[in-house]
Amino acid sequence: MDDVPSSEEETSDIDTGSWSDDEDMPAPQALYTILSEKDIKDRQAEAIDNVWTVLSVSKTDAGILLRHFKWSVSRVNDAWFADEARVRETVGLIEWSVEGDAYDGANKLTCWICFDTLPREDMKAPVCRHYFCESCWTGYIHTAINDGPGCLTLRCPHSTCSAAVGEDMVLSLASEEDAQKYHRYLLRSYVEDNRKVKWCPAPGCEFAVELIPGSTVYDVTCKCGHQFCWNCLEEAHRPVDCDTVAKWILKNSAESENMNWILANSKPCPKCKRPIEKNQGCMHMSCTPPCKYEFCWLCLGAWSEHGERTGGFYACNRYEIAKQEGVYDEAERRREMAKNSLEKYTHYYERWATNESSRVKAKEDLIKLEKEKIEDLSNKQCQPVSQLKFVADAMAQVVECRRVLKWTYAYGYYLKVEEQGKRDFFEYLQGEAEHGLERLQECAEKDLKDFLQADGPKSNFNEFRTKLAGLTSVTRIYFQNLVRALENGLSDVDPAPSPSRSGSSKGIGSSKLTVSKSLNGSRRGSASGSASRRTGGGDEPEYWTCGRCTYGNPMAAEVCDMCQNVRGL
Amino acid sequence: MAASCNSNLPRRIIKETQRLLSEPAPGISASPSEENLRYFNVMILGPNQSPYEGGLFKLELFLPEDYPMAPPKVRFLTKIYHPNIDKLGRICLDILKDKWSPALQIRTVLLSIQALLSAPNPDDPLAENIAKHWKTNETEAVATAREWTRMYASGV
Repeated sequence: MDDVPSSEEETSDIDTGSWSDDEDMPAPQALYTILSEKDIKDRQAEAIDNVWTVLSVSKTDAGILLRHFKWSVSRVNDAWFADEARVRETVGLIEWSVEGDAYDGANKLTCWICFDTLPREDMKAPVCRHYFCESCWTGYIHTAINDGPGCLTLRCPHSTCSAAVGEDMVLSLASEEDAQKYHRYLLRSYVEDNRKVKWCPAPGCEFAVELIPGSTVYDVTCKCGHQFCWNCLEEAHRPVDCDTVAKWILKNSAESENMNWILANSKPCPKCKRPIEKNQGCMHMSCTPPCKYEFCWLCLGAWSEHGERTGGFYACNRYEIAKQEGVYDEAERRREMAKNSLEKYTHYYERWATNESSRVKAKEDLIKLEKEKIEDLSNKQCQPVSQLKFVADAMAQVVECRRVLKWTYAYGYYLKVEEQGKRDFFEYLQGEAEHGLERLQECAEKDLKDFLQADGPKSNFNEFRTKLAGLTSVTRIYFQNLVRALENGLSDVDPAPSPSRSGSSKGIGSSKLTVSKSLNGSRRGSASGSASRRTGGGDEPEYWTCGRCTYGNPMAAEVCDMCQNVRGL
Repeated sequence: MAASCNSNLPRRIIKETQRLLSEPAPGISASPSEENLRYFNVMILGPNQSPYEGGLFKLELFLPEDYPMAPPKVRFLTKIYHPNIDKLGRICLDILKDKWSPALQIRTVLLSIQALLSAPNPDDPLAENIAKHWKTNETEAVATAREWTRMYASGV
């Protein structure tokens, strides 16, 4: 498959991850489907069709059932055929009784919300036949809709009646604005109740992403262009895991004052993780819909497990015991220690932030390039636009690499001090990757400028093409190595001989290459560049660097392993 | 008719007020304040066979702007020893929170509070110490409640 955003092919348009166009890339990719609003609506309609035809209920009732069972047709069917009466009672689907209602014969009825007496035809009732006037219904529905997604499980206003008020009734009585909100909640429920589907977190983006079961990689690219981690919804952070990212982001939070307050005064709901502030009342907490999880404020355990067993409702033994064992002080202590390592933090943070701003700039450049500059270049160098894809590829590679590199600094921050071998190896890989990236970016920016500013076609454009394409693929390989190594937790590290420490990230400045304008800049590359960086302390280089692709080859090899270029050329 | 002199007051509140005054529920009185017709002074008699028997409890009740879509705000002004009522007089009662329905009324709310006095529920407590007392030694807790009733709720 190629990367062109696929047309509306309903559910089958599986976009692949960012490393998609290379056959030599064996890294696993996230498998996912992007859902537009229309896709979601189609799926909802399909599920409703499925349910109402099988269960012989109205479409509205099918919607009520599906929302209760998190949009799983099979769960609706299972529960319904196991015990229909119980399901009906739980969701409030009261069966229409054939007996006449209490108001039979009365021409006028009193609305028990506004106390007005009105002609019967001006009153409305759900299937339970509790009549209220239209304006009170509208008010009731308005309040419910403005209270949040709980309006999707609206019940009859009568205080002891649990009859569900379905979509058809809500929409027939709601104001235009409320109806829109209600539709919004209906649509959202499909994503928010569904564990396999999540909204793209980009501001204003209305796509949802469904992860295909079995996908082990979470980095996804939405159709809006936003790359994010499906699991934690932060920006894509491969190869660093979500926990590290969460810790890092929390640490960086510009609103750290706010964060401190939230940490000190709220607890996350044990189920949906939203922060909750307890301002009054008993220890029995109920999270707001759609979560509705009931838990104990003290121990954060399920409320259903409380009662006499935990020493009564007002005392939670589990909390008391855990507190004595010191479990609750652990987080506190860790926070304290983190504060003390401010210096180390600043080091990593600066590099993390610099890479981020580099990435943002590169991304802007890429957009500018695709919008206007590529035309320019095409005209000046007399090349068809279709032949200039390598420039955009190079820039895209820079963007991606800056992203990866950025996160490796968060990774480095949390790498344990004791694991010196791993740290050395990590810094070596990071240094290599960063070094390669610097060369690529320099070529993509500076050299490109020459061709953009030229008066006419330059003779060495093809050389530029070869060089930039070569650097792109080499840098990609470096980063693939880095990603792979970090993803398997640096498990390749050989504990005995510690690899060269000169490859640390700080070494970039000194070993930075000025890439020769000529294609055959091999002598410079191998002498002062990477080869010397790989020495184990002695003067003998252990590798020679290929002049064409810069790959580090064993001294014994006469031909480059990577591009088959003959040594010395 | 009333709509002209209380132009901001919904008809429902006017009708409820009229009915509260003309047919008061047994043991309960509620009258609106003169300055603010949404603010009610409430008296509830301690129910028979309860530790609050013989007491006269003063409460305040306020109807918020979005009443009856939102529940009224009710608070005890008289000190009371009860597991579901805290020292500020706040009441832990489901219909005053998530179980509120616009088809409920001031009258039903006050009747529910009266019933709460007859049947304290220490399993969903607001005042933890009192609830604990109730669970560990009910006789003693009831005696304290009686004592408090005598001390704080006997003369108004």
